[in-house]
Amino acid sequence: MIRTPLRPLARILSARQKGENPDVIERENIRLRHEGMRDASRQCAEGRLLVLGAVFVFAFMTVGLRMAVLASTDPVEPRTTASGTSIIAQRGDIVDRNGRILATNFITNSLYAQPPIMIDKAGAARELARIFPDLDESSLLKTFNSSRKFLWVKRKISPEQQQLVHDIGDPGLLFGPREMRLYPNGRLAAHVLGGSSFGREGVNSAEVVGVAGVEKTFDDYLRDPATGREPLRLSLDITIQTAAERVLSGGMKLMNARGASSVLMDVKTGEVISLVSLPDFDPNTRPAPLTKGVASDSPLFNRAVQGVYELGSVFKIFTAAQAIDANLVNAGTMVDIRGPLKWGKYKIRDFHDYGKQLTVADVVVKSSNIGAARLAQMIGAEQQQDFLNSLGLLAATPVEMVEAHGAKPLTPKNWSEISAMTISYGHGLSVSPMHLAAAYASIVNGGTKVTPTLLKSTTPAPIPGPRVISAETSRVARQMLRAVVIDGTASFGEVQGYAVGGKTGTADKPKEQGGGYHEDKVIATFASIFPAHDPRYVLVVTLDEPVETSGKDPRRTAGWTAVPVAAEMIRRMAPLLGLRPAIEPSSQDRLTLTSN
Amino acid sequence: MSYLEYSVQTVPSGFRKILFLNWPLILLLCAVAGIGFLMLYSVAGGSLSPWAEPQMKRFAFGLFLMFSIGMVPIWFWRNVAGLAYGVSLLLLLFVKYFGVTGMGAQRWIDLGFMRLQPSELTKITLVMLLAAYYDWLSVEKTSRPVWVAIPLAIIFLPTLLVLSQPDLGTSILLTAGGGLMMFLAGVHWLYFAVVIILGAVTIYGIFASRGTDWQLLKDYQYRRIDTFIDPANDPLGAGYHITQSKIALGSGGWSGRGYMQGTQSRLNFLPEKHTDFIFTTLAEEFGFVGAFSLLALYGLILFFCITSALKNRDRFGSLVTLGVAATFFLFFAINMSMVMGLAPVVGVPLPLVSWGGSAMLVLMVAFGLVQSAHVHRPRGKR
Repeated sequence: MIRTPLRPLARILSARQKGENPDVIERENIRLRHEGMRDASRQCAEGRLLVLGAVFVFAFMTVGLRMAVLASTDPVEPRTTASGTSIIAQRGDIVDRNGRILATNFITNSLYAQPPIMIDKAGAARELARIFPDLDESSLLKTFNSSRKFLWVKRKISPEQQQLVHDIGDPGLLFGPREMRLYPNGRLAAHVLGGSSFGREGVNSAEVVGVAGVEKTFDDYLRDPATGREPLRLSLDITIQTAAERVLSGGMKLMNARGASSVLMDVKTGEVISLVSLPDFDPNTRPAPLTKGVASDSPLFNRAVQGVYELGSVFKIFTAAQAIDANLVNAGTMVDIRGPLKWGKYKIRDFHDYGKQLTVADVVVKSSNIGAARLAQMIGAEQQQDFLNSLGLLAATPVEMVEAHGAKPLTPKNWSEISAMTISYGHGLSVSPMHLAAAYASIVNGGTKVTPTLLKSTTPAPIPGPRVISAETSRVARQMLRAVVIDGTASFGEVQGYAVGGKTGTADKPKEQGGGYHEDKVIATFASIFPAHDPRYVLVVTLDEPVETSGKDPRRTAGWTAVPVAAEMIRRMAPLLGLRPAIEPSSQDRLTLTSN
Repeated sequence: MSYLEYSVQTVPSGFRKILFLNWPLILLLCAVAGIGFLMLYSVAGGSLSPWAEPQMKRFAFGLFLMFSIGMVPIWFWRNVAGLAYGVSLLLLLFVKYFGVTGMGAQRWIDLGFMRLQPSELTKITLVMLLAAYYDWLSVEKTSRPVWVAIPLAIIFLPTLLVLSQPDLGTSILLTAGGGLMMFLAGVHWLYFAVVIILGAVTIYGIFASRGTDWQLLKDYQYRRIDTFIDPANDPLGAGYHITQSKIALGSGGWSGRGYMQGTQSRLNFLPEKHTDFIFTTLAEEFGFVGAFSLLALYGLILFFCITSALKNRDRFGSLVTLGVAATFFLFFAINMSMVMGLAPVVGVPLPLVSWGGSAMLVLMVAFGLVQSAHVHRPRGKR
């Protein structure tokens, strides 16, 4: 830049000579200078502006292009691979013997809140209180406004509720997938299944743990991912179970009983086809255990497995079978039944007077306590103990329920001769209906020990257990049981075409406090087999404090209460079990029986 | 260049000034605001409350402010630039210690009838002071280090205060706007080259410091950057906004779903649907055509500002006009890029469309300055 002097002296001097005002020239000069500077800066500014314009255009093009790209692509929904979704539905299903679902998993959601990222806390609290009437708006809002970063709102919500909560649209209300145990059949087989609850809980999953029944017994198996979600296959049959529950429930009401239980067992494999305990509960909403009173009054109590009772005369078949098997007597041997039978301070009486003597078969058929006690005297206490032990009556049943381990039979401290005599007709030894069913199965199936199980057998043919009595004794025992129904105490037990056999038992209930027995409270039991000539199933029905009031006097004996209920159950279940009514080849058997 | 240099007599006076306002600019502003009303009406589910009606009132008030400021000679605004800047700095300090805390940041002063956000005000006062500074400074001094340090201090003082609130979006706007002003005023290229290199180093430092004791940003800011880089890795958390708005833009397609038919925004998928993310509603309901039309309106506003600045031989008026245009550009460019996933999510509203009082009033005041500069520009022959 060529520096020009501020005052162009040459021009000013010449102007002065002409007499003009040099100030004008000076001002003009300054103006030109300024304009020159301005033009220079303007040029610079315009250059900069051009650059800026280029930046603007570039930005416009970028934004516009991006818009076009987004507009032309199909919208991609966000991938819903939120962490945790893959670990749900871990617990295995439980199915019946035919693969029908007893327990499965249901994917539901838990609802939790993260107050720091909530937009409208008051609105969310109001809406939540509207969706879930059990929530309180003001207390919700209080927790939202507290310093908490996380809180559970609901542990389990339905899909409809989830949609409603979703519609609130608050980003601070979040869902976590949650595996929930579902028992689609409700109360069916409640005591077998038991129930489940949540263990450790996280946002995205919660542990489901079994709390009772097979859910607890097989908890490790059901949770084991290595099983590949192979369902747990029980021996139960939903169809049979349903029929058993319906009939037993009706029978319990008819007989005015406090409770009832039934066990249906395959005599060869020991598989439990149905197991009922009434009153029952819904495992989906398992009630809380009783905090006071007797645990056995709770619907959670499994009478068939947990309840041990003195079951009474149903034991007489064991006594008779052992005596015959030991060749002490045969079915026709006469036994002295004159009573009362005195032993020390005890007296043993019969319910009716049956005369002076009865055959061994009739001791069972007519149910003579004195006759059974005489047989026990012949057998001896030690041998009786061994025999009952071989039938599994002196230890907890190995059936696959946690409750079974606690149900140990109550045995006399000192197995004396008098104990043996009372035990011969079912007093002085308390066992559960499950024990009884297994022991009956062992007696009638040909004489091999049966181990009760709730799992479906995986072997093609049943593997016989150790022999407890000979096949011949077993045959005689079946005939005796059949005779009880034909002309004994269980005459109401006859079901046309299914040749029911069995033995009744009516035992006075022991008083809860102090010694002795109630006069008017009994446990009525009918242990039945069908068909008697070739037994397939054992059914044990137990009624707690039944009273049959159709007659003049209230009747409590098993023949009037448990037997008709069991007969109705067999009538309903036998066709479902695939048994066809048949004419039994019984006449010759009975001839042999009497000829002996 | 002093305003005394041009003939005051050629500037219109009295109500005649109205005729000399930059009317195309006013019409464009009204059009953009109109789009804003439509969208606010739509996101409220077809209702004037709670957003559209207050927004209309504010815009009316803003128009009034713009006219009033436009009537006042531009040299008055140049003379008060220093004062305005000082006041806004004081307000920023005040809000730092006495402000209302909201959404994790102290940004507002509650005035009773409205909440004033001093950081918004600073955007104008900074432009004014820088324009006045370069108007006062002789051209040859512009690039000397001492005279470059002064505007840098002017920019960084409020920026640091805003950053401490914390408000990353506004501080970016302030720095970028101030930088653009310096660039337009003719500061030497080399300075900008140095700044760009420093910026690159800083970005490296920000990432290198992550997780160490001297971590430069807050965790949530890092998360936003992460989310920007890959929004899909957290579609329900921090990436929620971006993912959802991309869905909205995609589902709008070329012609849109139709007015009030947008599902993404109307079904509450987007919590900030009426403020920073309102552009997604527009894009969903009117598609590419609607979104591009808004972009074009913004472009026209810039065009009219730039032509006005070019015509203006007053350096202050010209610089203020360009500064306002640059700030306005930064507003919508950052907002749109953010919504479309081109930039990380920082809290920058869509100018004149997003719901919000401070931002709209401040912009209208800024355009008032543009009008004043336009009306009072030197006329006559050179």
